[in-house]
This record gives sequence, structure tokens and C-alpha cells, in this order.
Amino acid sequence: MKIKNRGLWITLFTVPCMLLFALVYAAPIVTVFYTSLCNYTVFSPPEFAGLKNFVTIFGDEDFLKSIGNTLLWVLLQSTFHVTLGLVMALILRRKPKGWKIVRTAYMIPNIIPTAATGVMFTLLLNPSFGVVKPLWEKLGSDMGQVPNLFGNSRYAFWTVTFTWILYSGFNTIIFLAEMGAVDQEIYEAARVDGAKSWQVDRYITLPLMKNIFGTCVTLASVAMVSQFDIIYMTTKGGPGTSTLNLPIYLYKAATLENNYGKANAVGVVQIITGISLVLLIQRLFMTKAGEEDGR
Amino acid sequence: MKKKTVSRFLGLALSGLMVLGVTACGSSAGSQEAAADQSGGAAEEVQQGTEDSSGDKIVLDVINYHVGTDYAAEYYTYLFDAFQQTEEGKNVEFHFEEIPTTDAFNQKIKLLISSGDLPDIVFNGGNNITELAAKSGKVADLTPYFEADPEWRALFDDTSLEFNTVDGKIYGVPVSKEISYIYYNKELFAQAGIEAPEVAYADWDEFFEACDKLKAAGITPVGMDTADSGWLTNLWMSALIGTNGDAGNQWMNSMYPTDFNTPEVTAAAETIQRMFQEYTTADAVGGKYDPMATHFFNGEVAMFPNGPWMIPDFSETEKAPEGFYDKVGIMLLPGNGMEMVPTPGDMVGAMEEEKIKAAVAFLKFETLPENQIKALEMTGLQPVSNDLEIPSALTESDPLMAQVLEIQNQAKVTYGQNQAYWYQNTIDTFSTELPELAYGNITPEEFCEKLSESAKKNQ
Repeated sequence: MKIKNRGLWITLFTVPCMLLFALVYAAPIVTVFYTSLCNYTVFSPPEFAGLKNFVTIFGDEDFLKSIGNTLLWVLLQSTFHVTLGLVMALILRRKPKGWKIVRTAYMIPNIIPTAATGVMFTLLLNPSFGVVKPLWEKLGSDMGQVPNLFGNSRYAFWTVTFTWILYSGFNTIIFLAEMGAVDQEIYEAARVDGAKSWQVDRYITLPLMKNIFGTCVTLASVAMVSQFDIIYMTTKGGPGTSTLNLPIYLYKAATLENNYGKANAVGVVQIITGISLVLLIQRLFMTKAGEEDGR
Repeated sequence: MKKKTVSRFLGLALSGLMVLGVTACGSSAGSQEAAADQSGGAAEEVQQGTEDSSGDKIVLDVINYHVGTDYAAEYYTYLFDAFQQTEEGKNVEFHFEEIPTTDAFNQKIKLLISSGDLPDIVFNGGNNITELAAKSGKVADLTPYFEADPEWRALFDDTSLEFNTVDGKIYGVPVSKEISYIYYNKELFAQAGIEAPEVAYADWDEFFEACDKLKAAGITPVGMDTADSGWLTNLWMSALIGTNGDAGNQWMNSMYPTDFNTPEVTAAAETIQRMFQEYTTADAVGGKYDPMATHFFNGEVAMFPNGPWMIPDFSETEKAPEGFYDKVGIMLLPGNGMEMVPTPGDMVGAMEEEKIKAAVAFLKFETLPENQIKALEMTGLQPVSNDLEIPSALTESDPLMAQVLEIQNQAKVTYGQNQAYWYQNTIDTFSTELPELAYGNITPEEFCEKLSESAKKNQ
């Protein structure tokens, strides 16, 4: 059906959303970009200072470490975490016995508030009364050396990562929904041709998951760029700088140094990092319409 | 082409939306200078009551962190109620917002300082709030009120008021003094065959000899922590520096230090490293205050540094086993040292004259000698006024508190502590780098260097 003035209608329908975006997000983003170029503290209003804040943060080892940690978490989340969600979806798609229980159980960690998850893991892994001590004892190890998983920088990064990386329930649900939308005739045809189940997964399901995999990777990456609460609840970026990431560095600059200009410079880096990742991932994963048609 | 551009724009916009997170910081607005200018004339009127000229009730906004399980929750409930029974408070209504924990409260107040929306009465949770609020011009200058009421002024010594003075103006009304010393478990000392000193160990060598004996008897000698601000470790470290000769004492009594690479601080860091490695619980590194206090209550740790506000917890059966109060003894830090700092005082964030008067009336009520005594009895907060008459009944009802009042007079050396005197980001660095020091991942010298670097970020 041909719609008259299609462009006009699209514009009219998107106007409320764009207005809301402009008021709630765009204005603060503009403020963030502007004040990142200013001397701006709790005592003083913004005063233009050029790139001073950026020179300061890029000269700070802690900031560079926070970028490193953020990108490492992005990498881990967009590879291991998303792949785990996909693997779970491939298993659950076959509806093995008890699949509904597993699907629900796997979602539970995703619906627990992250702050509560942080507290739970802090208690669970406490070297004095958590699960580590009895396990260590069973292994017959030196009881004077019970690993302090959150407290020692040797383990802290991986322990914090462990609090979220295995729980890929949302990705599983997304993949399952996408798999459910695949035309069943394709699978029937494959079965008629004698394809084994791993061949169906390898040559039919996985290629068809490419776009949604890209979406999951985008969501996972962006979540890691702004990951804050669970790190704050467990280690606050420490010990040392072992779990420091961009949002924690930003938070400390704003609330402990009271330096809003510097904090907003970090915010600008965070926004640029996020947008760059989104564009990069789109480029990597999204199939162009032309390619899809084989043109 | 056009479609592609629109789609790119929308994509970028959505990406920005997703990563925005915690970036926008509000702009400052409003000022209290005008209100402060008026305060001179208003000061004299405070004693005549706080009734609004229209005869309506005056509503004061208060953000209260003394709520829930806070040690002073009950006392502040009493205080607000009692104030409303007075002539000055009968026309005052309070509108409360409750924020549990000092940390959350401080963060909220800082945001409000920036946005200019401070409550009418600003409780002070430390962390340089006084200076931030004063320099932002969003709290009232209380100097005229002190000048107009010499009797009220006389309740405070100069040190306490100077601590709350910024650029020659008094902004905070101190309500107590903070002191800390060592609590010890008499039973554990007896088990290890140690006799606790009457007042304090003569020096740190004697103290560590006792620690070795406790350790030999299978008892963990000291409670320490690193998380949040590393409160307990801060008290040990402050003591190690503050009792290390004149230079150390002077350093530990100075505000906002930026050079931590001094022999006294480095030596203290070295000792703290040893204490973590040899004399404390496995969960001290990365641990918060509460689980460490539980170790002490459960008789798992022999010595625990803290202030008198902890005393009510000893007889609180939800926190400590029944009869624990009687097991606790008190001693000063080695060399008769004691941490003592004036507290950062409560402030007035009200903008309207009537509200400022009512808020000041409340602060005056809060610091009445009888309420200081009440606070001592109910919370353990030490009176800010010197020479108050302590009721003799206290010796019978709360012998530990009576001992605190007695033992503090025997302190030969007093010093500050980091939460009162250091920059806030330096306190955070202290907390996050302590585990690195404890596990030997950095040397005491590197630890001090990191503290110096952090402090210098404020300049």
C-alpha cells in the first residue's frame, strides 16, 4: 500500500521521542561536552580551559588503567558472555528434559538487583566465613593462605568478572526468540537431506544468528562501558587500580575530587568509546541489504 | 542517501543514550550570600522565638542519617521531639528525608551543595563537607549568632570553632568531640596470660610484645579493615604517626597534608603492613567495619580501636553476646596516645530569614549542656563543652563510659585521624591501596607516594 507523505508521517511520529531525547539526554550530553573543556568544581562555575582536563586524565596512569580494564571487560563480555548465551540457547532449542526449569533458573541471576549480587558475592567469597575457606581446607592447602578473592589484586579482576560473566540469561532468551523465528521448513529440508543436528546448528542456525549476535554483542559491550554498581559494591575499583574502570574513575573524580570538569572529560571519553564500539560492532556484524540479496 | 543519514543519526543518538551513564553533573545555582548578609540583624531575634510573622508553622527540611540502626537514631528522635516542646520550637515542623549510612548521606549532600538545594538543617557527616558548603556560599555564616549570644559561644573552645571556620566565618556548630582509644577483651587477655596496662602500653614495642603473646595463645591480636575508608586501620595508622615524636604528632594534627613521604608516615605504613601480615584476621584485607566489629563481639579478636559511640553496642544483644559489656576493658594507644578531633559541626542551609532563625534555634537546643549529657548517655558522643558536670549515676549505669571520661584526661599525646584531616580522595586512595600494601604488592614508600599523588590532585 502506498502511503501519501510517508516522510511527513515518520517525522511526526518520531518528534515526541526526539523531543524527549533532546530534553533528557541531548542537553546533558552537550553540557558534558562543554564542561569537559572547563575548570569546573563544586566551588566554581564552569570556566573555559581548553583541553586541560583531557591532558590531565591522559597523563594519569590510573585513567589509562581504567580504560584498559574497561576494554578488557568489553572484550570478555562480547565474546565469552555472548557466546555462552548462544550455546545455552542452542542446547535449550532442542528442548531436552527439564529445559523449561533450566531456562527459568538461568534467568534468575539476571533479575536479582546487581547491588544485591555484589553483597552476596562479597559474603560468599569472604576468606573468613565464606565458601572459599572450607574448600581450601578440603584441598588440604595452607589455612594461613586462604585466598582473599576480592581483597587481593592478584584475583580481584577475575573475581569481579566472575560475578556477571556466566549469567548470560538475557542473551539466551534473545537467541531463543530469534531461533524460534527461523522458518521450520529450512530445518525440515535439512533433515530430509540427512543433515545431522550439529550440521543443522553449524550450517543453518549459526549463520542465521549473525545479526542478532551483533545486537547482543552491542548490548554487552555498551553495558560494560557503563558498568558501575557491582564493581562499586564489591571493590570500588581496588585493590589498587585492579578493578578500576571508566565509570568508577568518573565517579571518584566527581565525588571525591569534586572536579566536575575532569569527571565530564572522562564522561566524554566514555561516550566516544561507547559510540565507537557500537559503530565498530555494527560494521562487523550487520549484513548489508545488498549482501543479503547476493547483489 | 537521505534515509541512510537519518538512520545513522538515529543510531548515533541511541548509542549516546546507551552509554551516557553517570556523566552529567549539575550546574551550581543560588547563593546564600544575601541570606548571610541578613543574618547579622536576625541573630538577636533568635532568642525571642521562631514564630513566622504570619503565625504559621515554620517547616524545616532535614536530611537525617541518624536513622534505622544508627547508633544515634534514638537520640535524634528524642532531640527533634523535645525541641518541638520548647518555646523556640513549638512553631517548628520538621520535614524529614532519611538516608541511612554516613557515606550515602555525604554523597547526597555534596550533590545538593552543587545544585543549591541544601536542606534547612545540614547535618555534618565529615568528609570536608563544611569547607565545600562554605566555599559554595550555600550555608549561612553563623558568626553573628555566636557573637549575639556569648553564653552559647562560651560552650565551645576555640579549637572546636576554628575547626568549623572557613575564611574567618563560623559555618558549623560542633555538637561533640571525637576521641578514640583501644577496647580490649579481658577474657582473651587472661587466656593469653597477659595483664593489660592500667592506662596504656608505654610504647609500641610493648604493645607488639603483647600481640605476640596473644598470637602464641591462638588469639588474633587486632581488628583491622580496608574497605570503605579503612576506619580501623586509619585509627592504628594515625596512632602510629601521632605518637612518633613531635614531628609525627605535628603531621597528624595538620589539615590536608600533601606530603606523605615523611619518615614517620613511612614507618607507620611499614608497621601497618606487618600488622596485616601477622596480627589480624584473614578477612581484614578487603573487609568492612561491621564484620570486623562482629569478630570483636564474638571474642575472635583481642583489641579493637574505636570511640565511645561503640559502647552501647556492647550491651546490645542483637550485636554482641549477652554479658559482653563486662568483658571489655579500655586502654589508650601506646605512649598514652589518643585520637581527638573536634567534630565538623551541623550547618544551616535555609535561605529565608525565618527558617535560618528556626534552624539556629534547633542547633542551640542541640548543644544545650543537658542535651550534650543526654547524647553522652544515649550514644556515647563526647560533650563538645569542657567542664560539664557529668552525673554521678553514670559511673553505676555505664562504668565503661565513666572510664572513658576518666582515661581521656590521662592522654599525653593527642592527634587527628584521616577522615577528619585528609582530602577525601586521599582517604579513598588509602582504602584502595591498603590491600596492595598488606599483600606486599607495593612497598611502604610506594604506598606513601600514592597517597601524596592523590592529595596533590586537589591542588
